[in-house]
Amino acid sequence: MTLLAIESATDMVGVALVGGVGGPVERVHLGGRLHAELLAPAIEEVCALAGCTIGEITGVTVDVGPGLFTGLRVGVATAKALAQGLGCRVLGVSSLDILASAAVGQDDAEAPRLVVPVIDARRGEVFTAAYHFEWLAEHAEVSDPASIREDRLEPMSPGDLVEWLLDLSSEVGSVMVVGDGAVRYRRLLSVHPSLDLRLADELSGPPPLALARLATARLSDGGTETLAPEDLVPDYRRHADARINWEERAPRTAGATPSDPTRS
Amino acid sequence: MADHHINRVLGIETSCDETAASVVDGGSAIVSSVVSSQIDLHARYGGVVPELAGRAHVELLTPVLSDALAQAGSDTSGTGIDAIAVTYGPGLIGSLLVGVAEAKALSMVWGVPMVGVNHLEAHLFASLLEQPDLGWPLVVLLVSGGHTLLIEVTEPGRYRLLGGTIDDAAGEAFDKVARYLGLGYPGGPAIDRLAELGDPGAFAFPRSLPGDGYDFSFSGLKTSVVNTVRKHPDAATEDVAASFQQAVVDVLVTRARRAAADTGARAVCLAGGVGANSLLRRRIEEACAHDGIGAFLPSRALCTDNAAMVAAAGWWRLRNGGPSPLNLGADPNLRLVSVP
Ligand SMILES: [Zn+2]
Repeated sequence: MTLLAIESATDMVGVALVGGVGGPVERVHLGGRLHAELLAPAIEEVCALAGCTIGEITGVTVDVGPGLFTGLRVGVATAKALAQGLGCRVLGVSSLDILASAAVGQDDAEAPRLVVPVIDARRGEVFTAAYHFEWLAEHAEVSDPASIREDRLEPMSPGDLVEWLLDLSSEVGSVMVVGDGAVRYRRLLSVHPSLDLRLADELSGPPPLALARLATARLSDGGTETLAPEDLVPDYRRHADARINWEERAPRTAGATPSDPTRS
Repeated sequence: MADHHINRVLGIETSCDETAASVVDGGSAIVSSVVSSQIDLHARYGGVVPELAGRAHVELLTPVLSDALAQAGSDTSGTGIDAIAVTYGPGLIGSLLVGVAEAKALSMVWGVPMVGVNHLEAHLFASLLEQPDLGWPLVVLLVSGGHTLLIEVTEPGRYRLLGGTIDDAAGEAFDKVARYLGLGYPGGPAIDRLAELGDPGAFAFPRSLPGDGYDFSFSGLKTSVVNTVRKHPDAATEDVAASFQQAVVDVLVTRARRAAADTGARAVCLAGGVGANSLLRRRIEEACAHDGIGAFLPSRALCTDNAAMVAAAGWWRLRNGGPSPLNLGADPNLRLVSVP
């Protein structure tokens, strides 16, 4: 299978492609919140690097969140449209699962037993979940993060996060904390020696290649349901802010202000 | 670079609360046009909720596109589609991005050019779908929930903005007054219906004509309606609605008529959702007949947001500027600019 992976749940935007003749390839743009501008060119780029055409893609996977609403919409809308045009199905993967699998996928003899990805939910809150990995010397295979996830479905405050992390670390000694939420609230977290922030910067956002690998594992497992493009939706985890912003609704500067001499 | 092989264009529109897709041949023949309105979703809030609109577009666009393609005898592999046109502004950023992402992805998969279209320009092209031989120069009164603009069109692609609102858009005034009167959302059709039963002379609401140009102002009118209803709690709602509508239409017609006279326009053309208002249509027609110029009133379905107008404007833009690059973003404050 030639699988395209789309990542846009945080400030960064990235694409990976696995199964092409050129081997696994990845393109990541950090920061800037230019999801809409950068995503499509990045897709063209990875296809060129992998030595395939877009038409040769046989599967699409996308980070469905939780994360930035606008970023998620761009990523999910793009994944849906690609799958629709290609006539293939699509697999949505949680941003927290991708970060957890990336954290244990690191070449580290002392792999962490407990990984907590933290996604910045804005408005002073984070999305998070804890992943309890069993590390047995003779059984080095990593289980699917989804099966070992202790999800916190509601967004939580950084204060509650610290309290929860300290609870968790008191059981196992150390917790690996990653994600852009870990970077944003580093000063709150770093004062606690049991919270391991070594990978926080490197894994501030879910790496597209980790998404591609996790999706490939899930698809070859056969146990994961892919979706028809029309059924894929982002995992927002928050009700829409139902305030009507008349200003935003009616951008009055839209045409040209009548006093604007440059109008024509 | 003009590409004369482009005939059949898929249009995509997601700038506000309508999710729409359409296939148009040769810039003017509508082959299919599907519009999925989110009115029910926003009705309880009395206006469009941006985040709800963005979420709905993500869910609705895939089936709306499939329908528009199927009705045009095509399919999601893009058989027979030569290009894609998409609204990239102005509008709600979270909504615009859904359409732009869809257009780019399909353009890559199908291997056809994609062009970003200005929503305001698309409204101007709506008229051409029903009257391809429309003569120039024209004055277009573009009135909707988001815009109130008077635009001189000297020829396709050549625009001069004559005036706009300095506060509320006309459609916004309808929505706010309807909400105040408890008439529900959207306000335009509700007031239109009720006003038929009321006395437009019952209340003398102010007709604001700010400056000596072609600008509009509706926030004072809205305040006056609120104050009047407070002072006369027993006033018949239909009389208030009729008097309010009369005041809005008076102002719109007065300004449009003068703009047409001053610019020597051959016709006045209506565009935008408020262009579906019965009284406005009647009064524009009468005024133009009296002044000896043409009045062009697109059908109601082409006044409100749709993707056929986007496909038409896109077809024209592709021939007069070429496709957009794949790094096209969305611009919530996009201005109407003439072709270079
Ligand atoms: Zn519109």
